[in-house]
Amino acid sequence: MTNNGNGKIKPKMTFWEKLYFPEIIHGMTITMKAMFRPKFTRQYPEERWNPPPVFRGRPVLVVEDETGVERCVACGLCARVCPSLAIQVQAAETELDKERYPELFEINMLRCIFCGFCEEVCPEEAIIMSKDFELTFSEPKDAIFGKDKLLIPRSQLEDRLEFLKQYR
Amino acid sequence: MIAVVALIKIIVVVLVVLGAVAYLVLLERKISAYMQDRIGPNRVGPKGMFQPFADILKLVLKELIVPEQANGFVHALAPVISITVALSALAVIPFGNYIVIGGQKISLMIANVNIGVLYILAMSSLGVYGITLSGWSSNSKYSLLGGLRSSAQMISYELSLGLSIIGVLMIDGTLRLDRIVTAQGSGLWNIVYQPLGFLVFITAAFAETNRLPFDLPEAEPELVGGYHTEYSGMRWGLFFLSEYTSMIVSSALIVTLYFGGWSLPYVDYAAMFPNIAAIIEIVTFLAKTGIFIFIYMWVRWTLPRFRYDQLMNVGWKIMLPLAIVNLLGTGAVLLAVK
Amino acid sequence: MARLTIVDDPIGGKGKTVEVENGTTVIRAAAEVGVEIPHFCWHPGLSIAGNCRMCLVEIEKMPKLAIACSTQVADGMVVHVNSQKAVEARKAVLEFILINHPLDCPICDEAGECNLQDYTYSHGPGHSALEEAKNKKSKRVSLGPNVVYDAERCILCSRCIRFMDEIAKNPTLTFVERGDRVYIDTFPGKELDDPYSMNVIDICPVGALTNREYRFKARVWETSSTEGICVGCSRGCNTNIWVRNNEIVRLNPRLNPEVNNYWICDNGRLDSYKHVNSEQRLNSPMIRKDGVLQEVGWDEALAHAADALKPFSKDEVAIIGSAYASVEDNYILQKFARQVIGTPNLSFLSHAIDGDEDNFLIRADKTPNAYGAREVGVVSPKGIDVSRIFELIASGKIKALYVMDDDLAASKENEEALAKLDVLMVNHWMKTRTTDLADVIFPSATYAEKFGTYVNFAGRVQISRPAVSTLERERVPGRFRMSRLDNFGSTFDRWNKGPRRNVRSSWEIVSAIGNLLGGKMRYQSSEKVFEEVAQAIPAFKGLSYAKIGYRGAPLSKGPVGKKSKEEVAVK
Repeated sequence: MTNNGNGKIKPKMTFWEKLYFPEIIHGMTITMKAMFRPKFTRQYPEERWNPPPVFRGRPVLVVEDETGVERCVACGLCARVCPSLAIQVQAAETELDKERYPELFEINMLRCIFCGFCEEVCPEEAIIMSKDFELTFSEPKDAIFGKDKLLIPRSQLEDRLEFLKQYR
Repeated sequence: MIAVVALIKIIVVVLVVLGAVAYLVLLERKISAYMQDRIGPNRVGPKGMFQPFADILKLVLKELIVPEQANGFVHALAPVISITVALSALAVIPFGNYIVIGGQKISLMIANVNIGVLYILAMSSLGVYGITLSGWSSNSKYSLLGGLRSSAQMISYELSLGLSIIGVLMIDGTLRLDRIVTAQGSGLWNIVYQPLGFLVFITAAFAETNRLPFDLPEAEPELVGGYHTEYSGMRWGLFFLSEYTSMIVSSALIVTLYFGGWSLPYVDYAAMFPNIAAIIEIVTFLAKTGIFIFIYMWVRWTLPRFRYDQLMNVGWKIMLPLAIVNLLGTGAVLLAVK
Repeated sequence: MARLTIVDDPIGGKGKTVEVENGTTVIRAAAEVGVEIPHFCWHPGLSIAGNCRMCLVEIEKMPKLAIACSTQVADGMVVHVNSQKAVEARKAVLEFILINHPLDCPICDEAGECNLQDYTYSHGPGHSALEEAKNKKSKRVSLGPNVVYDAERCILCSRCIRFMDEIAKNPTLTFVERGDRVYIDTFPGKELDDPYSMNVIDICPVGALTNREYRFKARVWETSSTEGICVGCSRGCNTNIWVRNNEIVRLNPRLNPEVNNYWICDNGRLDSYKHVNSEQRLNSPMIRKDGVLQEVGWDEALAHAADALKPFSKDEVAIIGSAYASVEDNYILQKFARQVIGTPNLSFLSHAIDGDEDNFLIRADKTPNAYGAREVGVVSPKGIDVSRIFELIASGKIKALYVMDDDLAASKENEEALAKLDVLMVNHWMKTRTTDLADVIFPSATYAEKFGTYVNFAGRVQISRPAVSTLERERVPGRFRMSRLDNFGSTFDRWNKGPRRNVRSSWEIVSAIGNLLGGKMRYQSSEKVFEEVAQAIPAFKGLSYAKIGYRGAPLSKGPVGKKSKEEVAVK
């Protein structure tokens, strides 16, 4: 690479490269070789994939196995930080120690962009990204996940919780 | 009688070409997949063999969306122009010498006109109308830019295309494509005499068919879909068809002009039973054409797109001088030999 | 007068010079030039306690740091608010406060409007240096019917105690215990049930005192706050209306030294917005067909109303305005009565409850705009009042009645009289006994759904701004205070599905009927109506929405001097 003084950087090319056609042939040999390389396609619906813990699937709410109570205290920080406004929380008071709980917790999966900000901001480690990536809906309203779909027992989320413990 | 024969020939050629186009799409998807370490469509039918039918069914069933501000008539007309022009060019392609049916010699080309080469040049330049009109009538900035680019590109490369062919014409002394083939069959293929002319021709042919690295009229990253941004359903499908038909036509033309058409070296068709010879000729021709179609696709999945200024530079500053040099050189050599 | 310099730049600098009266405190002098000195226990409306030590500032030539809230200014004083010494002292104070304050802002309701949170963000290191367990104290203590106390969150600033002593003049609260066990409680046998008790929630700098109704319902950052006027009585306290999902979630007092200062009564705070959210709201014009009220479109209902009024002579029609409605509504109504109908039967009902008042904020007249209604002329030229109108109805002389924004069927006789009418038209926001008897009903906008001016008992004109959108009035930037959800929501979002009612301002309804009857009352907005009021009514001369602003403006002292006499007449 040389700078020709105009601020433009011009690559320095050999005579053969300047001829252009030999380079085309070169490129075409590369693609031709690629045709005989092994393929990496996964036959998806038949061959399942278990994502690694770093994977950010749909956000879910952690439920403690022992008590059956969700960790969420409905602080609304996930709803506030959500860049696509996918989360809606309605808090209510509870007699439990945590004082408040989400009476309604809805994530609009059509809005969700799987950025994981909700997980990052959550002070209770209550909303975390699961491994679930299979999300299909036939109607917009089906895409709004309420507490029935969001609450997942902690035992099913150990992978991610362990990952968060180590790397966050 | 001649009309009936011609009609039958037309129907056979059009059906075969359209069928071939459907499978070329599949072939292209497979080739691209293999070059990218994938396996491509494999769900519809065994090894994805019925994928083309699914594609066509999808295109036919899709809604034809016409933009509110578009010129509806021209918008509908443009794809029809494109496909018609692309198919018409097939009329003068010699698929073989002749077959004998009921004692009659039937030529294996639809119309054996004595200006075949000119006819093909004319048809390929008409192809720009379909694209330019579609770009204009859509009333969309992307389509319009695509259409404009297409016209500029076609004009720039048509000159080199025409000039490079003249070398062949000077050697063979005819505009009839079947004579060009026979002339090569009796001696060496034109590629031997015209290597430079061939390079110029194949490059210009890529540009004329709007294939990568010259697909600026579509240029997805800049122009969404280029001239067919505002097209959907089977109207869009017609553009697709015409792109692949043009590809077949130009491959066939390359074979005819530079690679001896249906002739094979060291094979004397005249010594064979005429119909068997005809079958071998057709197979030979299709095989040669197929190789060039593969090269088309191979190039597409290898080379990146030119920038617009680069395209113009290549067209006017490299291709055109090369074509003229080739022309003068051929003339000088011919003069010297004679 | 004393001249002093306030330096708020941490590295010194020129500072701002301010001239204040002798005896002013430093914190007030700094506020004059827009410098906020952090504080917890000091409140501009209360006495000085000086117990939180948060307002420590460095004053040149003073050996030690001084608390800005109680240090009086002196001529030539130079105050360094954010010098390193001052900031470090305040950091230490904050750390002391946070020793036992739970760090659970995500749960706490005050988060987002919490002084402690803000100062911790600006001063604090972000983590606690202490490893010891925090004090456990009682939570969810019910101090009174409306106030819940959390002893753990309390930072013992004593604002609430001082408020009850000094402003409510009803000493109820006190510190109990000593040292780190100290907490706030009511005196034995007493309850925090004062009519002004809920002001302690607003002045609490942390989330220790919470509103029993609003507790854990909404986050401040999800809500929009709009400057409104309390319609609970003729004081017209300035309020902030907090709206989420197009529903009012709470009211707060808004500072206006001319009217209510920092305070509001519990009644106004809790009840003056309930009718806006009510299930009983009317949501469509209705016409009585074959004895049954049926929902119809606006055009049909307005045309029906105009046709129904046509057959009566002007003396057979009576028009009743409302002290609940705005100046604009009442002005249009009296114009309709005088110019379109030409009837002398024009009045409005007083809703004063004798004796239900005190000498602080609460007034006996429970309507926000009785003064305004009188002032714009919802008064019969022949001295016919509401009781006289009812007599005329009972005797059959009045056959058609239009009632705006009021419920007349208070007594059995009134109800019977209303039943006698040939035509009864009502516009109101809610189902009432009057609307049950009506032949034509128009749903009207409440004070929180329109621009409207109200004149309080002392003749101060104030604007209430729309906080809630209606079916026809979109939440548009510029006209509405909008929260983040309002700004970015789409029709698919649940938070945008809050109730939007099919209502119109009363002046729009009345002027539409008037226009159908040949009147000329075309206005684009309530602001245009008010412009006409300012021209037509001498007392409003020179006033405009811009001039009234957020603090209100007094009516001009014109030739209207017979206020007291009329007040007697209406009562």
